[in-house]
Amino acid sequence: MNRALAGTLAVVLVFALGACGGADPGAGEGGEDTAARGTIGFSAMTLKNPFFKIIADTMTAEAERHGFDVVVTDAERDVNRQSQQVDNFLASGVAAIVLNPVDRIAIGPAVRRANEAGVPVFTSDLQAVAEGVEIAGHVGTDNYQGGLLAGEAMIEALGEAGGQVLVLHFKQANSCVLRVDGFRHAIGEYNRDRTEGRIEIVAELEGGGLRDEGYRAMADGIQAYPDLAGVFAINDPSALGARTALEQAGRADQVKIVGFDGELAGKQAIRDGKIYADPIQYPDRMGVMTVRNIVSYLDGEDFERVHLIPTALYRQADAEQDPALD
Amino acid sequence: MPEGVAESAAGRWRRRSLDLVGRNLSVVVLVLLCLISSAATWREQNPVTSRSGAAVARQVLEACQTPCSVLVVARDTEADRVFVQAIEQGLDTAGARIAGRVFGQPRDVRLELERIAGVGGSFDAIATHRIASEWGPVRTAGTPVFAPRSYHWPTFLTARNLLNVVNQNADIAIIALGMTLVILTAGIDLSVGSLLALAGVIAAVTAQEWFGGAAASPAGLLAAMLLGVAAAALGGLLSGTMVTAFRVPPFVATLGLMMLARGLALILAVGHQRRLVGGGAEGTPEAVRVDAAVFAWLGNGTVFGVPNPILLMLVLFVAAHLLMTRTMFGRYVYAVGGNVEAARLSGVPVTAVLLAVYCLCGAFAGLAGIVDASRFEGGRPNAGELYELQVIAAVVVGGASLAGGRGRIAGTLIGAMIIAVIQNGLNIAGVASYEQKVVFGALILAAVLLDRLQPKIASRRARMTRASTSTPVQ
Repeated sequence: MNRALAGTLAVVLVFALGACGGADPGAGEGGEDTAARGTIGFSAMTLKNPFFKIIADTMTAEAERHGFDVVVTDAERDVNRQSQQVDNFLASGVAAIVLNPVDRIAIGPAVRRANEAGVPVFTSDLQAVAEGVEIAGHVGTDNYQGGLLAGEAMIEALGEAGGQVLVLHFKQANSCVLRVDGFRHAIGEYNRDRTEGRIEIVAELEGGGLRDEGYRAMADGIQAYPDLAGVFAINDPSALGARTALEQAGRADQVKIVGFDGELAGKQAIRDGKIYADPIQYPDRMGVMTVRNIVSYLDGEDFERVHLIPTALYRQADAEQDPALD
Repeated sequence: MPEGVAESAAGRWRRRSLDLVGRNLSVVVLVLLCLISSAATWREQNPVTSRSGAAVARQVLEACQTPCSVLVVARDTEADRVFVQAIEQGLDTAGARIAGRVFGQPRDVRLELERIAGVGGSFDAIATHRIASEWGPVRTAGTPVFAPRSYHWPTFLTARNLLNVVNQNADIAIIALGMTLVILTAGIDLSVGSLLALAGVIAAVTAQEWFGGAAASPAGLLAAMLLGVAAAALGGLLSGTMVTAFRVPPFVATLGLMMLARGLALILAVGHQRRLVGGGAEGTPEAVRVDAAVFAWLGNGTVFGVPNPILLMLVLFVAAHLLMTRTMFGRYVYAVGGNVEAARLSGVPVTAVLLAVYCLCGAFAGLAGIVDASRFEGGRPNAGELYELQVIAAVVVGGASLAGGRGRIAGTLIGAMIIAVIQNGLNIAGVASYEQKVVFGALILAAVLLDRLQPKIASRRARMTRASTSTPVQ
């Protein structure tokens, strides 16, 4: 009887495994047959954010053109999970590893294990700063420059009146720390020789970089700072969450939002006037550049070890002419 | 996969393991899962060993007449050096000449080729392994490339991967031991993930600020670690007190502690970062780095090739197993879970047992926190998020009943390994993360279903045996 039950359970599991294999033809066991030159392992920060999904998808497409196969895994913002994924990549003998480091310091030991195994590690979007680790190449956004642009957009949005501004942060990610640094710098420069119409950053709230957390943080922010004139959210999901909170409070017209990223939902919100502007990033270029760097590395060619892609400001006028939004 | 093969292999395995775990379904499931994972990860393996190095040397000598001049290419790792040594030994004894030797990256190969061409040198062959034979400069060098033949073998069943599987889940398994005790008393502990983080952060902050940072002695680091474990045990004692003295349901009491401990861990970490930068700006919730290198020994070191977290897990497993099967305390725990009132009436110190159980669960979570902090060379305030669910899943899959009174430590260990194997198998088989969640959910449901079905089947079997063997009474 026990055996029969175990059999049933096993059949359920086999089915579950089989179903997954079928649903995912690109990354399955067929991998090494299609990929002549090997496999690239990618551990994404979180695939719940479209930004990283775009990096994963463009990487996969570009790698295929060069004869590589990409295995995409989701670290779900947990460095423990990410380290495990690195170990799994090493065990399955990948040609190169790509990371969006979840924690720029704590990922160190895992990268060192890859270094010891002779497998090159590339980072995209976020950098690793742990001691004694060797990163073969990095492609990311120039986040500080993006933060400066976000500051300019905020100054433009608020006009001569100035006012109180809130920041929806995600401090765990250093890229966001750089954005907020740039933003603060731009606002500081603007305020320097001004007594009236100053812009005051009243608080930094933790928005988690996610829509629901951004929503909750903003809902609280409205209560705490009734005179708010603007919000800078470090990415689009939290900007959209903030927008929902403002709409519910009936304050959407009085509080200007500046986001970051320029993902599809963010661009649509800019077109509809829900977000004032975004410094936009280019996750697609990031994915393509990263794969090209890997190919250059394996071909023994020289390439730019740290490549920062500047952002550009994207306003309503840009959205109206954007063919991608039709 | 052929069903018959799986059955017989599983059957053999099961007979052998019967003494250890008794009649346990989960063992069968674990073995089946290992077989599935092996089948799903049947891949080409590229050996980089002393033996494969010698084989390459033979290949080169067969194809190339003496005096043969060879360029040897490998990466800059220990395994590669052993491999190259074997190649060069083989070539030396046959009188072949080593034209050059590269330990490094593809770029280094290109530079070496340019150097050889620059001095007008030449070579007849390149000896390397499969991985480097795919490098651009090696492929385009224009000379024959020799590499060891690859063979097929399940990636799942490589030593490196098997150690990975257990090592990655050692912390879950350690906490699951404590959770088993709590669940045996019909309780639940949701605070373990947060206590893990709190213990790690306390150990890291005290190691840095009280015990000397980079100059900390091993004794100081041990003290820091014990402080972390003690704090987690204290947290467990707090939920135990809520449960016993104030009759708060364990779910609620530990839910409160879960948030409280997480908040404390974040406050301590951010406070430490702020002190690091000299006050002023609020710190970031990043890992609190421990500078003393010895701190990483527990999490990243090995003894006889076995990672320390695995050894710690095994030691704790044996201790918990003995505690539950050989001591009065173990019997008390089962008694409390079976029927609290009956236990109380027969003189079991119920309050003391419950306090001890929650305290132990906290301490186990704290130990896992120390392992985590050591593994990442610092305490992470975000560590262990959602661990409580993974741990409860491991215990339930291991056959313990959430209603209390039924379950074994050995079952929990197997439950933890089942979850580990599923996770690892799915990962290295390349199944995308969205689908993995579906499989996980299905597994938990299947396990709970099994839990529900088992008594029914047992009673039906009992009825059937009665009906067939005993003479009717009336």
